[in-house]
Amino acid sequence: MRLNTVEFLLRQSWEGIVRNGLISLAAITNIAVALMVLGAIVLTGANLEHMAALEAKAAVITVDLEDGADPADVQAELLADLRVDPKQTRFVSKDEALRQTAQRLGLHLPQSEPEVAADLLAELLGRNPLPNSFRVKTGDPQDIPAVAAQAEKIPGVAEVRYGQQVTEKLLTLAEGTKIAGLLVGLIMTGATLLIIGTTIRLTIYARRREIRIMQLVGATNWFIGIPFVIEGVWQGLGGALVAVAVLLPGYTYVQAYIDQNLEFLSLLYSPSILILFALVILGCGILFGALGSAISLRRYLQTV
Amino acid sequence: MIHLQQVSVVYPNGTRALSDIDLHIDRGEFAFITGASGSGKSTLLKLLYRDIVPTEGKVIVDGQDVAKLPPGRVPYLRRKVGVVFQDFRLLPDKTVWENVGFALDVLGASRREKHHKVPLALELVGLSPKAEAYPGQLSAGEQQRVCIARSLVNMPPVLLADEPTGNLDPGMSWEIVQLLDDIGERDTTVIMATHDQDMVDRMGKRVVQLVQGVVVRDVKEGGKYDAP
Repeated sequence: MRLNTVEFLLRQSWEGIVRNGLISLAAITNIAVALMVLGAIVLTGANLEHMAALEAKAAVITVDLEDGADPADVQAELLADLRVDPKQTRFVSKDEALRQTAQRLGLHLPQSEPEVAADLLAELLGRNPLPNSFRVKTGDPQDIPAVAAQAEKIPGVAEVRYGQQVTEKLLTLAEGTKIAGLLVGLIMTGATLLIIGTTIRLTIYARRREIRIMQLVGATNWFIGIPFVIEGVWQGLGGALVAVAVLLPGYTYVQAYIDQNLEFLSLLYSPSILILFALVILGCGILFGALGSAISLRRYLQTV
Repeated sequence: MIHLQQVSVVYPNGTRALSDIDLHIDRGEFAFITGASGSGKSTLLKLLYRDIVPTEGKVIVDGQDVAKLPPGRVPYLRRKVGVVFQDFRLLPDKTVWENVGFALDVLGASRREKHHKVPLALELVGLSPKAEAYPGQLSAGEQQRVCIARSLVNMPPVLLADEPTGNLDPGMSWEIVQLLDDIGERDTTVIMATHDQDMVDRMGKRVVQLVQGVVVRDVKEGGKYDAP
């Protein structure tokens, strides 16, 4: 394309924005808000999934044995279930369990002397109340409830426990966020397209004389339309930049706050993920802008 | 250059604007289309730049059947057909030079081409000294000259003028018609719609008279009368 033509098209698109200054500003604000909401939902969903994955990865089934049951028999039965990961399944004896408990109870003894603490505890209690147990892991965290139910039926097993609530709740929440995000996303996308479309329609209306002259002297629809599409892209890009400028520092702040104050939570944080996120938001802005203006143009140029 | 064969136009509201028109205009010919308001003059011109398509019959411009032209080809037809309007249709925020250059801009012309063609067109209509003025600073006659320069800058073989003198006083009207005649001398086919009978008589060119969408008179240049 000739330099004069490129310059002409860009100038046309810029004049459109300047002429409709306030409306353009409103469109940019609207796109910014829409993209912020969308971005926040995406970030929340991604983090919930991330947490659920962490939880699931750590999830173990604790299989307590009855006193007197032979661990080898139970182990054989447990491993007969193919969903169980044999490499990550571990026997925890009564003594080890007691040591761990002693440690956890924090008897303020040096870490190197857990046995002293365990003996002390056993002495205090007079006996060791903890059972022998297996810590069972499954290949797929989803199998945990089924494997647990199976384990309960094994002779010599007293009780089966697993941290089901947390993982399941997180997964449900992540799923819910995804569906809500999709719905809100669709509505927001529709609204954004409508807003950009309306803004462009106003520009088209303001320039209808110009468009008419262009058509009469033989400009192609493509040529007439390009400045409006570029105008929509400017608006989409402007809104996306505002959204990114708010979301990124905001997220970084929340992430840092949670990291410091809520140790049991860990949010996703890596520069590459955030850059990707910013690029996706910018891409959405540009796409919305181009699409919104193209839709209203198509309608207008068809009716003339 | 231009053939109409049994052309009728009926608007969607049922108005019959043209009935069974047969018309042939040669390359380089100058023709007036006359008739009262509502006689179908504008409709006839609109057919030629494909603003509308005929309900029946064939309209052929420069060898192309305009009704069969796919939408994507319409702009290329319009590059061959310059149009001048009664209301000038200039862009008020652009100078005379820019208004004329606009017609080249939208065709993707280079800067060089523009700087070559715009001064030529302005010179032709005698407006070179006013190149930097805005339409609001010009008289009606001058504004019409800008409009003519814009429709000519791309050197179309056909020039249509729809009541170009409708908003002008008699002196200015005469100047504009003289200008169109000059353009006609340069091998451009000029078709001008008007209801100014005096002017038509003074020019002695071909006259096609419409009454209620029907050609009632077709007088060739020099006054020879053709039965409709």
